[in-house]
Amino acid sequence: MAEFSWEARSPLERALVSEPYGVQGEAGVALTEIRNFDLVQVMARRGKASEMATAAKGHFGVAAPETPKAVRTADATLIWSGPDQFFVLSKGGRQSVKSLVPIFAASASLSDQSHARVLISISGDKARALLAKLSSIDLYPAAFPVGAVAATSMDHTSVTLWRGNDAPGGRAVFNVLVFATFAESLWQTMLDSGAEYGIEIGHSEELA
Amino acid sequence: MRITCPFCGERELGEFTYLGDAKPVRPAPGASQDEVYDYVYLRDNVAGAMEENWYHGGGCRAWLRVTRNTLTHEISSVEPAAGAGARQVVK
Amino acid sequence: MTSSQSNRLDTGGLIDRSQPLNFRFDGKTFSGFQGDTLASALVANGVKLVGRSFKYHRPRGILTAGSEEPNALVELRTGARREPNTKATTAELYEGLDAASQNRWPSLAFDVMSVNQLFAPIFVAGFYYKTFMWPAKFWEAIYEPAIRRAAGLGRAAGVADPDHYDKAWAHCDVLIAGSGPSGLAAAVAAGRTGARVILCEEDFALGGRLLSDGGTIDGMPAADWLSRTQAELAAMPDVRIMTRTTLFGVYDGGTYGAVERINDHLPSPPEHQVRQRLWRIVAKRCVVAAGALERPIVFAGNDTPGVMMASAMRTYIARYAAAPARRVALFTNNEDGWRTVGAALGAGLQVAAVIDARAEISAEHRSLASKGGFPVLHGSVSGIDGGKNGVRKISVSLTGGARAEVEADGLAVSGGWNPAVGLTSYHRGRPKWRDDIAAFVPDGAPPGMVAAGAANGAFGLGACLREGFAAGAAAARDAGHGSGSGATPVADDEAFSLAPLWHVAGKGKAFVDQQHDVTASDIELAQREGFESVEHLKRYTTLGMATDQGKTSNVAGLAIMAAVNGKSIPETGTTIYRPPYVPVAIGAFAGHHRDENFHATRLTPSHHWAAEQGAIFVDTGLWKRAQWYPRTGEKDWLESVTREVKAVRGGVGFCDVSTLGKIDVHGADAGAFLDRVYINTFSNLAVGKARYGLMLREDGIVYDDGTTSRLAEDHYFLTTTTAKAGLVMQHLEFCRQVLFPELDVQLTSVSDQWAQFSIAGPRTRDLLKEIVDPSEDLSNEGFPFMGAREVALRGGIRARLFRISFSGEMAFEISVPARYGEAMARNLMIAGKPFGVTPYGTEALGVMRIEKGHVAGPELSGTTTAADLGLGKMMSTKKDFIGRVMAGREALVAADRQVVVGIKPIDKARRLRSGAHIIPKGETPGPDNDQGYVTSVCFSPTSDQWIGLALVERGRERIGEIVHAHDPLRGEDYDVEICNPVFYDPDGGRQRG
Repeated sequence: MAEFSWEARSPLERALVSEPYGVQGEAGVALTEIRNFDLVQVMARRGKASEMATAAKGHFGVAAPETPKAVRTADATLIWSGPDQFFVLSKGGRQSVKSLVPIFAASASLSDQSHARVLISISGDKARALLAKLSSIDLYPAAFPVGAVAATSMDHTSVTLWRGNDAPGGRAVFNVLVFATFAESLWQTMLDSGAEYGIEIGHSEELA
Repeated sequence: MRITCPFCGERELGEFTYLGDAKPVRPAPGASQDEVYDYVYLRDNVAGAMEENWYHGGGCRAWLRVTRNTLTHEISSVEPAAGAGARQVVK
Repeated sequence: MTSSQSNRLDTGGLIDRSQPLNFRFDGKTFSGFQGDTLASALVANGVKLVGRSFKYHRPRGILTAGSEEPNALVELRTGARREPNTKATTAELYEGLDAASQNRWPSLAFDVMSVNQLFAPIFVAGFYYKTFMWPAKFWEAIYEPAIRRAAGLGRAAGVADPDHYDKAWAHCDVLIAGSGPSGLAAAVAAGRTGARVILCEEDFALGGRLLSDGGTIDGMPAADWLSRTQAELAAMPDVRIMTRTTLFGVYDGGTYGAVERINDHLPSPPEHQVRQRLWRIVAKRCVVAAGALERPIVFAGNDTPGVMMASAMRTYIARYAAAPARRVALFTNNEDGWRTVGAALGAGLQVAAVIDARAEISAEHRSLASKGGFPVLHGSVSGIDGGKNGVRKISVSLTGGARAEVEADGLAVSGGWNPAVGLTSYHRGRPKWRDDIAAFVPDGAPPGMVAAGAANGAFGLGACLREGFAAGAAAARDAGHGSGSGATPVADDEAFSLAPLWHVAGKGKAFVDQQHDVTASDIELAQREGFESVEHLKRYTTLGMATDQGKTSNVAGLAIMAAVNGKSIPETGTTIYRPPYVPVAIGAFAGHHRDENFHATRLTPSHHWAAEQGAIFVDTGLWKRAQWYPRTGEKDWLESVTREVKAVRGGVGFCDVSTLGKIDVHGADAGAFLDRVYINTFSNLAVGKARYGLMLREDGIVYDDGTTSRLAEDHYFLTTTTAKAGLVMQHLEFCRQVLFPELDVQLTSVSDQWAQFSIAGPRTRDLLKEIVDPSEDLSNEGFPFMGAREVALRGGIRARLFRISFSGEMAFEISVPARYGEAMARNLMIAGKPFGVTPYGTEALGVMRIEKGHVAGPELSGTTTAADLGLGKMMSTKKDFIGRVMAGREALVAADRQVVVGIKPIDKARRLRSGAHIIPKGETPGPDNDQGYVTSVCFSPTSDQWIGLALVERGRERIGEIVHAHDPLRGEDYDVEICNPVFYDPDGGRQRG
């Protein structure tokens, strides 16, 4: 009997080369792919938005976002993804679709999106300048504070964009969830757009 | 053009898809062919404020009912479709 | 180095004399300084002749010092970077700049085509319309190439632009166009409140007319006020100053277009940098402080090199320390023109005379004339003596009828000023006429926009500062920022008196639009021929339609039209103003979207594995899909595809079908919902089963198809075609949110969550047994046709397995989470090795579906009904569904509709091609007997001949009939037999077995 190995490969595994890109010197932008996460779409059943909210509060200990915001729980980030729906982003199977189904059984429909998205984190002095080329969203600090979320498009591709906690030193960190089959294309566009600032490239298993 | 999505806030036109006149109401099952014909084909050619269906496909995927002046592109109101999100709708 | 700069003034100017620059113009080397434009450097080198005109090839010089320039257009740079029609007046000088004049042959000084001038009488308005009308076929073959050689502007590079361009968004409270006194005052007023400000300046330096005309502001020289203001703005973190940036358009909702020429001032962009960036700026408020453009007076010979706008002449003198002439005359109808006299005298140039069209001039100017020792002639310029080497003598018609002559080598002209009303008028705004300044000024503006200063008709320096400051403060306030603007900058207001004068009658050509060679007599002719409306005038004469969009000519043109019509200028009106304000490179609009980045691409989960296998990829929508997998020794695609088909039909193969749209349909009413969107019923589908479904549009035409499986009582997994995936999602959301909001349904795209493979062929089950956990029952009883359920795979992951077939073979589709997609492809190769497993591409997929008679995109063409496709029986009569009523319309159920049939050529060796028309045998092809067309064709390895599907009138009644295929596109005619579309295994035993 043949031996089968089921190695999970990120859609960016080949496109992402962990070395400096573009202009040499201190990189203006850091692009980091976060790999191997659990992502579950939670959508309230018709007329069950408040039941879903109650279930979320009971399970996560914090209220799920009802407006475009991302909130942190002990072991997950809840990211608004549309009216009466949100994503649960986590690592290590702690909030997998399997574990969440019973929590929302009476109030919401769940879809596993863990493999459907690629998560790219963007930081650095020129992060906003780079994102201004890809996104029509106003990312001015006061207009898009920590925890702000936008369900929006980049390069005609739907994405979920949110501002994570600032990095040490106060630099803003932006996270982009992009559809997996579009990821390499968007990644190339990011490299193309960011080359003039110099890009530091890497990948990580840790959620920022 | 910019449309203020009731869920996402003000967004650029590129995130939205236009469908058209929001006034016609789909006839109930059993309606005559004439009624359905009117629903499918009959449209007012409005010069002025018009209610339109727009889809925020590049954003939250909500269908919106947008009142737009066809002469000036001025948008005077944006409402979510009845069934956007999980609101209970009794029909 | 500076020896060649014969006309460079010894002192003054804002050039950096410590940074000399060499440049070439028409192959000759010159020098200039950092801070020069190409035009100012040419002026400094005494070059007067810079181009030949569009139609008559007349010698032309530099008319202006800005982006309104009609004449001084050059081809800038060489090779792939050659850029035609570049304005020398805005092109910044850099070391090694290489420019060539345009529209001359063999040389600028000796231009053969200038004989066009001799034929000038035939090149009048409407010439093209009148002359080249007949015969029609002569146009492309003879007239157009000849005209293109004779007339025209510069040559495009003809090869791909090597530079990168870019697009970006910006957001602000207050957007300001222009950095003259009004714009700067607006910027400080808004910036001091804490508002987010973006100031766009077309020039590379801030200051606008302050750089040329100076003045006193807040008691200090304008230059000092300028540096103080720049420093203040630079210290404001939320004020962004964008030089080399033209705000070219305004769009709905406070969105503005601007182009930033980031690296146009360098020979080529530094590595990794872009040449230009297109900005979409979203602004709550906008202050247009774009200034005004000085306008010419139209007189005979007014296009002679050396005739220059008065304000441009003093710009060259004061800002660039370059003398356009040694002995200057001024022709003006207003007070402002006289500033040029001051500038010329200040630079030590001679002033030959001032020709002033007004009856009276101020005492100040009378005393200036007597001190300067030059005459003031009351009258108008009626002619110019001179040629390609410039002005020599100026003829003057004096008020009262006498004539005079003035010897001069340069003539400054001022006909007054036109506010730059473009931006304020782009939403079909019509500017209004103001008699006191004899100019159009904005009459309202798009929402959120206001004009200030010269752009609003306020020409005095003090007024510009006050208006700009007030507008900036108000804009910040309206955008939600409070007070704190501080004190308004103060300056005197100069007198502005003007006697309107547009056209001086006289002998010889008097040019209105110099770029398009439209003369005053062309306008008179247009009027005589009935083209009186300004919009007709524009099209008939091409006035204002050149790359400068008539910035120096439009108002003069319509004033002349008004005069010949006996109407007032406001009665005559303006043409519609449209963006862009200046030409914008297509490259800037494209940004990074060129070549391989032309559009976003989608890659399947097994893409890189397929690439490793040497797959040939095809673009299908945004996707790159493996089309076939060539093997060494195969001579063409057909051989590879045929091998793949045979391998599947004879053993087993697999294909990545992840491109299908996949949608999770959840909710208590999911089944009821699907019943309404599909023509067939899904609410009665058992859990664990799949069903083929067909959707109609509400008009009764087929929209999409696919299989949908029921995975749980309240969970269906719906698939769509690759092409319609996004549209079907949009349609279903419309149904959910708008049409049937009462239903409890949730829709989520899971297209990217699952890597899905079709595994097909008689050995499919053997292969699957290798890879699926042995506990899973894959027998025909345990997993019957159209079964659908989750299974465990060897090695610990779970998959969804669907027993569905598109090929007509025993087949399954298997889905694994997408990041396992590549592993799945590798494992299928391992598991299938004993059975000769073969990966196949979209071509083989297509061949097998045609052999099986399955319809796909070419048949779901937006014109076909379910019955046309042979699927009419699927239409439920027991429920309502989208398209049900309209599908019953008379025309959609007519007996003579074109329906899907199979076709095969009578000559078995013949290749079929889709698109051929079906004509009854023996008839001459034509629209009257066109009975359909061939939709899909393939070489069928199973039938060993080409076969096809076609839409044919009454086709199902005509099985066996021989008809004619007519393919005028490829010049082919042949006979085909109409047959059953299911060529392969018509009773379906193989897929059920």
